Amino acid sequence: MAYNSFPYLCIFLPLCWLAWALLPQRYRPVALLGGSLVFYWLMAGTYTVWLLLAAALTWALGLWLGRLQDLQAATTPALDPGARKAAKKSFTALQKSLVAGGSVALLGLLVWLKYLPFLVRTANSLLARLPMGWQIATPTLVQPVGLSFFTLMAISYLVDVRRGTTRPAVHYWQVLLYLSFWPHVVEGPFDRWGQISPALLDPPKPDYRAFTFGVQRILWGMMKKLILADRANMYVKAVFDDWTQYSGAAVVVGTLLYTLQLYAEFSGCMDMVVGAAECFGVPLAENFRQPFFSRSIGEFWRRWHITLGAWLREYLFQPVIVSKPMLRFGKWCNTRFGAALGRSLPVWAGLLLTWLAIGLWHGAGWLYVVYGLYYFFLQWLGQAAEPTLLRLLPRLPQWREHRIYRLWQVARTFVLVNLGMLLFRANGTRAALDMLASLRRPYTDSLLIKLDIRDLWVLAVGALVLLAVDLLHERGVSIRATLAARPLPLRWAVYCGGMLAVMIFGAYGDNYDPAAFIYAQF
Amino acid sequence: MTLKTWQKNGLRMVAFLLVLLMLVLAVGHYLMPQSNRYLEGYTAGGILGEDFDTIDVLVLGDSNAAQGIAPMKWYDEHGITGYTYAAGWMSMYNLYYRLKQIYEEQNPQVVVLCTAPAYTKKGSETTMQSALGDIADELLPLLRFHDNWKYLTPGNLLTEKDYSWRDVNKGYTPITDVAGRPNTDYMYDTGVSEPIPLLVQFYMQRILQLCADHDSQVVLITVPAAVGWNLARHNGIAAFAEANDVPYVDFNMADQNPGIDWTTDTADGGTHLNWLGAQKVTEALGNYLLTHYDLEDHRGQDGYESWDGDAQTYRDQRTDIQTRVTQNAGIV
Repeated sequence: MAYNSFPYLCIFLPLCWLAWALLPQRYRPVALLGGSLVFYWLMAGTYTVWLLLAAALTWALGLWLGRLQDLQAATTPALDPGARKAAKKSFTALQKSLVAGGSVALLGLLVWLKYLPFLVRTANSLLARLPMGWQIATPTLVQPVGLSFFTLMAISYLVDVRRGTTRPAVHYWQVLLYLSFWPHVVEGPFDRWGQISPALLDPPKPDYRAFTFGVQRILWGMMKKLILADRANMYVKAVFDDWTQYSGAAVVVGTLLYTLQLYAEFSGCMDMVVGAAECFGVPLAENFRQPFFSRSIGEFWRRWHITLGAWLREYLFQPVIVSKPMLRFGKWCNTRFGAALGRSLPVWAGLLLTWLAIGLWHGAGWLYVVYGLYYFFLQWLGQAAEPTLLRLLPRLPQWREHRIYRLWQVARTFVLVNLGMLLFRANGTRAALDMLASLRRPYTDSLLIKLDIRDLWVLAVGALVLLAVDLLHERGVSIRATLAARPLPLRWAVYCGGMLAVMIFGAYGDNYDPAAFIYAQF
Repeated sequence: MTLKTWQKNGLRMVAFLLVLLMLVLAVGHYLMPQSNRYLEGYTAGGILGEDFDTIDVLVLGDSNAAQGIAPMKWYDEHGITGYTYAAGWMSMYNLYYRLKQIYEEQNPQVVVLCTAPAYTKKGSETTMQSALGDIADELLPLLRFHDNWKYLTPGNLLTEKDYSWRDVNKGYTPITDVAGRPNTDYMYDTGVSEPIPLLVQFYMQRILQLCADHDSQVVLITVPAAVGWNLARHNGIAAFAEANDVPYVDFNMADQNPGIDWTTDTADGGTHLNWLGAQKVTEALGNYLLTHYDLEDHRGQDGYESWDGDAQTYRDQRTDIQTRVTQNAGIV
């Protein structure tokens, strides 16, 4: 049951909202949990058991951590300083091992179901080079929907409880609701327990403004998904699946359209899920902040899939660079290469790990490793080239404040991101390189591939509307609030126009081949 | 009377939905094709151009029927007026609503319901999605014809639609391509029955009821299809037919096979029949209809002049089609 499907929008969501709104306040979480479990069951069937087990483990460990913290708070103040220090040390060690054990179990499940076939294939390719001729049978495992999302959210829950930034859930169903909440279980965002648990467990009263704002956001997401992403998919699929048949221009247009498709689809999906949660008074985290206005790759990734970047920064990068082995590595670098490299090399090692994690999170394959390394390389190159650039161009800091230079930075980032998109979408690294080489082919053939000229016009106009809306958001304009202050006929004209636009220009029906949500497979 | 806030908000939402519904219906009207030729895939829409109450046998089905049953052969040989209302991916939900529409202009004596649509759904959809999508398409023309915005021009936006086009072949599309497959047995017994999805069964029963309400007799048939049909599906339909007391003829079964040679009679490796296969099935179905129903010979009758004219066109085209398909099949 996809977020843009008829049964979800016209049956599931209204029924859940009615149940949630009509139930007494204390029973509203039941409506959310019931809806979430039904939704997940419809998506995953019997694989729901993995979600139930992950939630059980997370809940039990969280409760244990909480009790240890309570015990520590109750017993250690009465101890003398030496004993208090020792007790604190043993409490901390115990809690760390609980979080480590839980994380290993949760990640083990993720690796088992998502990465095992990739690991076995890699091992087999290595074994094939040996004279013994050993091979391991590749397992065929089904990855339940949303596995990466609920796994990472469960780990963040355990770490946050251990750090004491949030209190653990008392009841199993509370953790289950947090992990399975249907708006974020399939494609995220990665919400933190502390951020959304108040609204999940102690829901606010149904609010007309929140409801209408939520519906408007769902509509905006539908427009992105159905009008832009699903239409662009036809062209993208044809070009990327059979790029040798097309001209260099078609590959360029295909790459640009894939960027448009992925942005419209993923951000559109986020609009749909954040809007749905908004109807229920639950504030989900934002995952996009106008990424194509970024002036650097680093900034792009702080604006694109924000919650994944934030999760990796907080729960991988930061713990890694302050870990004992990394501190020792820093000292070693310090003595060997000097203070500057001694400081920067551990950070770059942490960044490399983080970019590899981003790559591998997107898929189990070497292509995704290369994808992560591509962005690591760009970021490293930007930093490494900075001193040389400043030496060669002493006025660079002043230029950077100029509007033209900023536009150049935005354009440069856009091009680099598009190259990354080509790498990401291509059918393998070799295909990506071939496609890059094909840019030298003649730019003469027709660009009408699977789409007619009217479809391309819809895409062009849609992309301009998307750009205009992003520009308004970038300038801090709240379109929904602005619209809400206008007279009713104008508001209704806009809402009806939006709904009719989805119904008329949506790429659905026999003439199109709508794609499933891309990020749902991650 | 003072309304509470939630009542005001509720009324506002209902009012908005009503305005939206009116707009959807109005826009849907403008997006409908200018001619009935383009109302549906193949030439199903041509039925709206037929004279009032002239069709005695109505065949309902999907692409297997559109390429497999040629009603003009019945008229040419026996004077039976038939029409194949069929198109690709047609579902039982679609067929129910289309039959309701057809009954506004025609009153067929026999309705031949092809069974392939009972199991047809796109691979990417669940049964529920397929059902809701098809039913919504039928209730809201805007959804069904939404892509027609591409063909709207200032010139045709306000012109009256012309739904008088007639199809010489009466819904049948002659295919002369030949792409054979070995005559392997695809109806082997696995001992299982593939039940018809519940919602599809419900709509099939609604079709039967609609026919009963209009005094039409119903027969279920399965057009030969080596790809997409099997004994499990036959068993599922047979159980439905028995439970609802309707006759069922499966032309895939050995005892009812009209002599299909899968090396020459299919256009695409066994999924659909070509002209050669269609001639055999149409002949066999025609004989069944003549044997079991009292169907009138309309040739030369007043009110059927257009049928006589179409029959002549059909005869004129037949030789050429026959020559092309036999050449493609390598039959001397």
